[in-house]
Amino acid sequence: MTALAPELTDLQAVVEEVWSTFVGYEHPLCPRQVPPGTPLDASVWSGAVSVTGEWQGAVTVELADDVAQAISRVMLDLGDAETLADDDVADAVGELVNMIGGNVKSLMPGPSSLSLPAVAAGRAVFPSDAHEVARLDLTWTGEPVRITVHCPGSPR
Amino acid sequence: MRALIIDDSRAMRSILRRIVNGLGFESAEAGDGQQALDVLESGFNPDICLIDWNMPVMDGYTFITKVRDNPEWRSMTLMMVTTESEQKQIVRALAAGAHEYVIKPFTPDAIADKLELLGLRATEVPA
Repeated sequence: MTALAPELTDLQAVVEEVWSTFVGYEHPLCPRQVPPGTPLDASVWSGAVSVTGEWQGAVTVELADDVAQAISRVMLDLGDAETLADDDVADAVGELVNMIGGNVKSLMPGPSSLSLPAVAAGRAVFPSDAHEVARLDLTWTGEPVRITVHCPGSPR
Repeated sequence: MRALIIDDSRAMRSILRRIVNGLGFESAEAGDGQQALDVLESGFNPDICLIDWNMPVMDGYTFITKVRDNPEWRSMTLMMVTTESEQKQIVRALAAGAHEYVIKPFTPDAIADKLELLGLRATEVPA
């Protein structure tokens, strides 16, 4: 079975729209060249949502720790002096992957359902029957950001 | 004017709170549909509810049907604010009683415009 994947340009447009709307325009997301199969070279927070229905897949967001903390402060409107708890970061990363995943779902054939987000401090790992079908490697303020779409079956 | 913000994400509630408070609304928050019903039952009487779809415990669609089933709340204005963008889901929410539908991500102006369309423009808060 060949997995249907979103176009990379569409995935990038979704990510940039969500990012600029909720994180801001001050620092742009920049492209980053990373060889396929390379784990993210940073301490990360990961968020994942799955889509079930006419199209099946999962969308993950991996953010360097500094990025996850910075976007959490922006989204929760917390100043630098205010304490940021792990559950604040989990909440913000969860909403970020929810919005990106929801908009990826809208690019794919429906009807389908979006799961609630799952968030962890660490890398997202998937079962061996899930394959990466699209990946965006970016940087934000010099730190890595990765968005990946996984599908069951073989890559396109 | 009063707004009830219903979303399981504190980050999203914070974003929406800043928008509606900036438009002069008084706001309350709930983390799911059941909590929102509890807020309504406690006597908070909003002019509008901003409702996420996918939430634990009770989702936004179920919340809408519960509100519409209660004669006391039947006239309350309801607006979905969600990542659910399938036409079928939008039609379903509107048929259940939502007045407006906003897809995330949204800009503050998009929320303000929808509220104005619904006739819900509170007095601007002085800077």
